[in-house]
Amino acid sequence: MTFKILMFISLDKSIVTGATHHFKKTYQVNISPNMFFKSPLDIEIHFDGEDSRKVVEINNNNASSNAKSLKDQYPLYENGESLSGLVTLRVKEGKKVDHLGVKVNLIGSVDIAKSNSEYKKSTVDTFLCLSADLCPQGELMHSQTFQFSFKDVEKRYESYRGRNVDISYYVKVTVLRKSTDIVKIKKFWCYLYKTIPTSGPSGQNEDAKPVKLDIGIENCLHIEFEFSKSQYSIKDVIVGRIYFLLTRLKVKHMELSLITRETCGLEPNQLSDSTSIRYEIMDGSPVKGETIPIRLFLGGYDLVPNTSCNYFNIKNYLSLVIIDEDGRRYFKQTEIFLYRTRD
Amino acid sequence: MSYAETIDEAIVNCKHQTVFMQRCLSQNALMDALKHTSIMLTELRNPALSPKQYYELYILCFDSLSLLSNYLVESHPKKHHLADLYELVQYAGNILPRLYLMITVGSSYLQSPDAPREEILKDMIEMCRGVQNPIRGLFLRYYLSQRTKPFLDNGLVDKKFSISFIISNFVEMNKLWVRLQHQGPLKEREQRTRERKELQILIGANLVRLSQIVENDVQLYQAEVLPSVLEQVVQCRDVVSQEYLLDVICQVFPDEFHLVTLSSLLDTTLKLNPEVAINKVVLNLVERLNGYLERKDGSLDADITSKLSSLDITDNDKNLFFVFWSYLNQISEERPDVSVLEFSPLIQSIMRLTLQWYPGKIANIETLFKFLYDKCKDYGKALPQEWDNRFEDVFFSEAITSDPEFFYEVLTKCEFYQKLLALQSKTLQKVMINKILDYLLSHDVRISVKAELEKVLLICEPLTTHQPQTPAETQSDALQLTANTEPGLDDWLSHPDQEKLVKLVHLCYSKSIKRHADLLLCCKASFHKGGKNMRFTYSAIICTFWKLIRRAHLKSIKKPARAEKLRAFLKQMFKFISRCANELFNVCGASCVDMIYKLHLETASLADQLSLSEIAYDFFTQAFTIFEDSLSDSRTQFQGIVNMAQALQKTRSLYDDSYYDTLITRCTLHGSKLLRKQDQCRAVYLCSHLWWATEISLLGEEEGVTESFFREGKRVLECLQRSLRVADSIMDSVQSCHLMIEILNRCCYYFIHGEEQSTHVGTKYINGLIELITTNIDALKLEEPSSENDLEPSQALYFIGPDGTYLHLPSNNSVSIVTTKPPAITIAELISIPTQYFQRTLDYIHDQKDVDVRFKAINA
Repeated sequence: MTFKILMFISLDKSIVTGATHHFKKTYQVNISPNMFFKSPLDIEIHFDGEDSRKVVEINNNNASSNAKSLKDQYPLYENGESLSGLVTLRVKEGKKVDHLGVKVNLIGSVDIAKSNSEYKKSTVDTFLCLSADLCPQGELMHSQTFQFSFKDVEKRYESYRGRNVDISYYVKVTVLRKSTDIVKIKKFWCYLYKTIPTSGPSGQNEDAKPVKLDIGIENCLHIEFEFSKSQYSIKDVIVGRIYFLLTRLKVKHMELSLITRETCGLEPNQLSDSTSIRYEIMDGSPVKGETIPIRLFLGGYDLVPNTSCNYFNIKNYLSLVIIDEDGRRYFKQTEIFLYRTRD
Repeated sequence: MSYAETIDEAIVNCKHQTVFMQRCLSQNALMDALKHTSIMLTELRNPALSPKQYYELYILCFDSLSLLSNYLVESHPKKHHLADLYELVQYAGNILPRLYLMITVGSSYLQSPDAPREEILKDMIEMCRGVQNPIRGLFLRYYLSQRTKPFLDNGLVDKKFSISFIISNFVEMNKLWVRLQHQGPLKEREQRTRERKELQILIGANLVRLSQIVENDVQLYQAEVLPSVLEQVVQCRDVVSQEYLLDVICQVFPDEFHLVTLSSLLDTTLKLNPEVAINKVVLNLVERLNGYLERKDGSLDADITSKLSSLDITDNDKNLFFVFWSYLNQISEERPDVSVLEFSPLIQSIMRLTLQWYPGKIANIETLFKFLYDKCKDYGKALPQEWDNRFEDVFFSEAITSDPEFFYEVLTKCEFYQKLLALQSKTLQKVMINKILDYLLSHDVRISVKAELEKVLLICEPLTTHQPQTPAETQSDALQLTANTEPGLDDWLSHPDQEKLVKLVHLCYSKSIKRHADLLLCCKASFHKGGKNMRFTYSAIICTFWKLIRRAHLKSIKKPARAEKLRAFLKQMFKFISRCANELFNVCGASCVDMIYKLHLETASLADQLSLSEIAYDFFTQAFTIFEDSLSDSRTQFQGIVNMAQALQKTRSLYDDSYYDTLITRCTLHGSKLLRKQDQCRAVYLCSHLWWATEISLLGEEEGVTESFFREGKRVLECLQRSLRVADSIMDSVQSCHLMIEILNRCCYYFIHGEEQSTHVGTKYINGLIELITTNIDALKLEEPSSENDLEPSQALYFIGPDGTYLHLPSNNSVSIVTTKPPAITIAELISIPTQYFQRTLDYIHDQKDVDVRFKAINA
């Protein structure tokens, strides 16, 4: 049976689902720090068709810096898509601004935190930097609007915001001056869609085969953990079953966890963080021969596709956890590959 | 999210969440409503709840979920699509709330006409596997069953699908139910069993649902439903479950179904856990089948026979009994662990069945008893006493005792009834025989065929035969021990069973006197084995012979044609009596000579009444022989003489051949030879009556009219004289005096009833006697100490009885005390006994003067 997801709620707080809450109202986030320095010039960036473009809401981890907003909203772009827009420079009434030129950059960068304790991330790699001049050196007497356009921008990575790693894309407008430059950034979000790998007509695709794992503790527990495939779209459903061949454990319950783990840096300075979705699939202790069904809808959760680059990688694991009556946990992790498909 | 600690908190929480949920629903905030529902359902995750508490909570949640369900149905698909919701609720992290919600949504979705019903149902039941905890799982599946009920019933889905759905839910529930038994520590086993019994209704409900769906479709039931259900019953190998489920199967499905599927049901019982009481199951089944018969009102017509023919019986004998009978044999073969004890209730139920279906078919009963007999025999050892109760029920089961005639038939026709009984412990045998006898007696059964009597007697044999008691038995029965150490006639009370046995004699009846006598002889033969117990039993036989003799006599008068034959047989019967008496004497001897003596006298009187002088004489002489040889106690001897004199005085047929003369002389002689003088004195004056026959109005005699009375006044006087002499020679002056007054009374009797010339007792003689007594009393008063003269012995509290005993009548109550020795009282009081007696006698004579002029001549 397949069902389409329209809505999603978290019904149970006791389990950290990593799921997000919908709010009808969203707060405008883009408040530039320059505002406070009485900048002589306001820069406004507007992407073409921004109002009708799909937006992505991202949890704002940076809760301390801006308590008001829990979510950030970003317009969504995909790989190879052109990005064009208008930049409006607004001069304060009755003032004129001298500048050495105005340019616009489209930047994609990897930002990584230095250590676990330090929250601030710094850019380690700018994998994408396109630049265009909007206006030569001169003087701005009144507000002026420029057009910019980046054609068929190749975006190698998907936008990501994690604990230690961010991949962000933004448009940066710089008004060069003799004194401090005036800069304005506008972020946008990027998704990379993959074609469904199982679509190969030859059927030789191994990912479509069910995965069978034989797990056991000698003379104590022996189970067969089976799920439909090893690669899932992030809107997919994980279907499977657990077959108990031998149980001498007094099982209290059994959970399936979906763990997303980001790892960055190299040993020994490696940083990693994982978030997980816990999903109880069995209550009570089964007997030999019992089969427990698994069905986990992924669509409701904010999952991240597997990503890998020089600086970091994001992997997804399916973890089966059995908790016995004495509170001991037995678990088995297996990696699954998540990818994004067009809805 | 966690659950409340106590049930009360949990209930409060549930109620609150329900209110919140309703509020959210009224605002169409479905998401929030679901959240509250989820919080409420979390309470059901609490593992600490007892089944009862859990049930309470479940009911609350059920009601609450019903509200939700109503909303969901109403708003579909205007506000949401249930298919979407079905997926949505599956995001719940905890499985239990998730599944409750899923079932709620799924069942709501089932109501919409375009829903893929079977798929939803399949999915829901499949997902329920996730809950493996017994209690939670049971309730969840029960919830599934309750929610899906309307769709399975109303034909919205295929009937077969419904059935397989319910059966698979049933199977899983039963598994969980069985698993509950094995949870927790071992010592709480019993508590688990108790809890399981509290929950059994949840599982049973599935079967009820099945029966509602199957309706009257026997084919479906036989082909689809029953095999799967029975398979699960067998597979679970759990005692509680098997017993309960089979019971439910028997109860919920129509009884004609059982008739059709009887063999598979019975087969199943063979495969059950050995600890399951098969008999309960069979009993249920039998009751259902009997109920069926009752409903059909006994019309064993083609309908039933056609159903019976569908059973797997290869034999020609297509009847229900045969099915059960072969089943019994099958158990016996396949399940050697089933003990004899367990068979007994089984057999009882089958007995019930056969009697209901084939009333009066004794052969069936016989077969059953034979089966049990064989089983008992195979048991080898003696049957333990603890089993007695069970077997008691078999022997006296309601099925066979409800109709006295039938029970009697069982007793007399079933060979193995007796054989089986004989295998039981001695105590049980006794108890059973007593019960049987009680039954026969209370229902007034007539035994008229010798063969039947023999059967009954055979059953009673353990009672009749005299067994030397084993030490163990005597220990257990101390009362009997004391009774047996001193054998006597007066211990009837300690032999109530013998009494019942004797009553059996009175149940024998036949119109033909000869046959009746035959029955009695049969009893006699059986009682003869009783040894010493004969002293209880033989008297009854003899008494019955007396009755029979009288009957024969009457018959001979009524039917003169057959008189000759009857009289001959009558004499024969006297011989039987004689034989009985002799046997009794030979076996019991001293312990009951007195009784034998009296029996002889009674028989002699009877013979005399029938004018069989020879026989009467013979019995009298027999009595004398016993008197002479065996009656040694002086008191008994005296009593014997009195009895003899009584019997002889009434005889009428002995006058020929001077039998009478010989006998009465002998009697008087024995009387005069008694040990104690006072006995001699009394015996002799009593014997004086032997020469003075009086009227017996029954024989048509009348004083003054009948001339042929045997009277010899001279001998009367002689006797009186003799006794007076003896009285005079007694040293105890009080006794002596008293005896004289007694003789005076005797004289008065003769004076009243006879003319002086015939009795030779005249005024002169009486006057002389009075004078003598007066002198003696005066002499007696000399003994009295003068000092106590003033003490007026006003109340006559002491008397001397007609046999010389002292009677003390206490002033406060009427129960008198009898002693043979003089009581410890003052001489004055002792002397007052004869004086007052004398006074009363004189008063009497005085009074008689008014009636009889002759008395005027007496100086009193």
